[in-house]
Amino acid sequence: MKNIIELQNIHVSFDGETILDHFNLNIRDKEFVTLLGPSGCGKTTSLRAIAGFVQPQAGKVLFEGKDITKLPPHKRQVNTVFQRYALFSHYNVFENIAFGLRISKTPEKEIKERVHEMLALVNLKGFENRNVAQLSGGQQQRVAIARALVNNPKVLLLDEPLAALDLKLRKGMQNELLRIQRQMGITFVYVTHDQEEALTMSDTVVVMKDGLIQQIGTPEDIYNEPTNPFVADFIGESNILPGTMLKDYLVEFEGVEFPCVDAGFGENVAVDVVVRPEDIKIREPEEEALHGVVETVTFKGVHYEMMVRSANYLWKIHSITCREPGTKIGMKIIPEYIHIMAKEAGTAN
Amino acid sequence: MKKHLIAVPYYVWAVVFIAVPLLMIGYCAFTDASGAFTLENIQQITKYWPVMLRSLLYAAVATACCLVIGYLLAYCMAQQSERTKTVLMILLMLPMWISFVLRTQAMQDLLDLVQNWLKAAGIDLQVRNNALAVVLGLIYNYLPFMVLPIYTSLEKLDKRVIEAAEDLGANRFNVFRKVILPLTMPGVGSGIIMVFVPTISTFVVSEKLGGAKFNLIGNVIQEQFLQVYNPNVGAAISLVMLVLILFILIIFSFLDDETKEGLL
Repeated sequence: MKNIIELQNIHVSFDGETILDHFNLNIRDKEFVTLLGPSGCGKTTSLRAIAGFVQPQAGKVLFEGKDITKLPPHKRQVNTVFQRYALFSHYNVFENIAFGLRISKTPEKEIKERVHEMLALVNLKGFENRNVAQLSGGQQQRVAIARALVNNPKVLLLDEPLAALDLKLRKGMQNELLRIQRQMGITFVYVTHDQEEALTMSDTVVVMKDGLIQQIGTPEDIYNEPTNPFVADFIGESNILPGTMLKDYLVEFEGVEFPCVDAGFGENVAVDVVVRPEDIKIREPEEEALHGVVETVTFKGVHYEMMVRSANYLWKIHSITCREPGTKIGMKIIPEYIHIMAKEAGTAN
Repeated sequence: MKKHLIAVPYYVWAVVFIAVPLLMIGYCAFTDASGAFTLENIQQITKYWPVMLRSLLYAAVATACCLVIGYLLAYCMAQQSERTKTVLMILLMLPMWISFVLRTQAMQDLLDLVQNWLKAAGIDLQVRNNALAVVLGLIYNYLPFMVLPIYTSLEKLDKRVIEAAEDLGANRFNVFRKVILPLTMPGVGSGIIMVFVPTISTFVVSEKLGGAKFNLIGNVIQEQFLQVYNPNVGAAISLVMLVLILFILIIFSFLDDETKEGLL
C-alpha cells in the first residue's frame, strides 16, 4: 500500500516550547491510524499540521507524494471532525452538512442527494431541519462526521471526537466509526488519549510522548510487545520491574530464574521486565518459585485486582479467583507472557 | 417574595423617570396652553416633515458608516493579542470620558482650524456648517457604541467554528460571509440600535457643526421647549418621533431572528 500522507522531519514549537520534535510519520492509504498519547504529547498538533492549521517551523507535509506544507487549510483534500464538533449554530442540520458542497458550488440537486446519503450513513434520516443546538451530543457528533465526509475527502482527521460522550454512547460510536470507515474506504487519522479506544479501532497505533513517537504498530504489537516502559505503562496496566538477562531465553527477576522467549540482549545484562496483571496465575506457594503475600483486594467487576508483595516488588494481579489479604501465594508466569525491554539510557524506574 | 422587594427601587425609578414623563408628553401633545383637548399640535407636525426626514436620513447614513467602520475596527481589534486589545479598548473608550458637548465643541474648533488653513492655502471649501460636518460629528461621537457590541460578539465567536469552515473549503471571504458575519449579527443589531436611536434625536452635533441651516428634529424640539415656550408642540413632535422610531425598530426586528436576538 502506498503512503497517502507523509510527515517528514516536522518541527513545531510554541513560545519556545517544543511540541513536535523532528517528527516523522507515514500514513498508508485506507488505513485507520490512531495517534495515542497523554495530553501535551503533540498528537493534536500533528493532526493540525496535516489539516493545515499549524505551520511547522521545519519539515514537510506530503499528500499523495506532493508537498502541501504551504497550502492553506481550505485547499487541502482532507476534512476534520473537531473536538466538541464546532457545528455552525446559525444553520440547521441540512445546511451544516451542505456547507462544503455549497462552497464548491455543487448543483442544488446533487447537494440534496449527497446530504441525504450522508444523513443515512450516520443514521440521522429525518433530522434535516433540526436546529443543531437541539441535538444531543451523539447526534451533533454524527452531524460533524457527515459534514466532513460529504466532501469525499481522501483522509478524515478526527480530533478526540468521542471524548465528550458518555461511556455507553462512546462504545456505540466506536463501532459506527469503524463501519463508516470500511464503507467509505478512506483513511482515518484518529487522535485520542484513550488507549482502549485506540486498541479497539485502529489498524495502526502510534504511541506518542513529548512530541516523539514511542512506538508504531498494530494494536496487538503495541499491547504485547511494548518497546519501552512508557508504552507498557500507558497501554493497559503493567508490572514493570528490573531484571537481568542471564543469557538468551533465560531471565532473572525477584531472585527467581524464568525461561522466556527473548534473545539477543547478551549475557548478564540489566533489563526491564514487563508482565501484564492478567498474565500472572495464582497458585499455591509450594507449587511456584516466585512467592508473594496479598496486601489488598479490590473487586473490579469482571475480575479482582490484588496487590501482592514479593521480596522487592509490589505486583498487580488481575484474577477471577480471589485470595484474602495476608494469604501467601505462588505466582506462575509462562515464558510467552514475560516481555523483556532493553534499559533505556537515563530511564529511572 | 424577596425578589419582588429587590425590584422595588427599579419600579419606582421606572415609574418616576419613564412612565410619568411619557404620560406627560402624551398629555401635553393633545392639549393646548389652557389644558383643553386639541389635535392642533399633532396637525402642526406637517410643518416639520422636511426636518424629520433629514434627521432620519442623517441618522441612517451615520449608522451605516458607523457599521462599516465599526465592524472593521472591531474585527481588527479582535485579532490582536490580549495586551494590544486592552490598549485599543482604552483608546476607544478614552474620548467617552470627556463630555459629549465638549467633544463636539472641540470638533467644531478643529474644523474651523482646518477651514483657516484651507483659506490660507487659497482653497475655498466649506468644511463646517454643512451636512457632511454633521454626519461626521455623528459618526465620531457614536462610533464606540457600534464597536463595543460587535467586538463583544466577535470575541464570543468560537475560533474552531472558523477553522471548521476553512477545513470545509471556505476561503477568507467565504468564512466571513457565511460564518463570522451571520454569527455576529446579534452584535450588529445592538450596535445599530445603539447608534441609530441617539443620532436621530441629537441636537448638540447639528447645532455645533451644522450652523443653523442643518437643524435636526432634536433642535426643533429643543427650540419649542426652551425658546418658543410651546411645550405642547414640542411634546407632539417628540411623540411622533417616538412612534416613528418604534415603528422602524419593529420593522427592523422582523428582518431576521438573529438581529431580533440582538435587539432584545
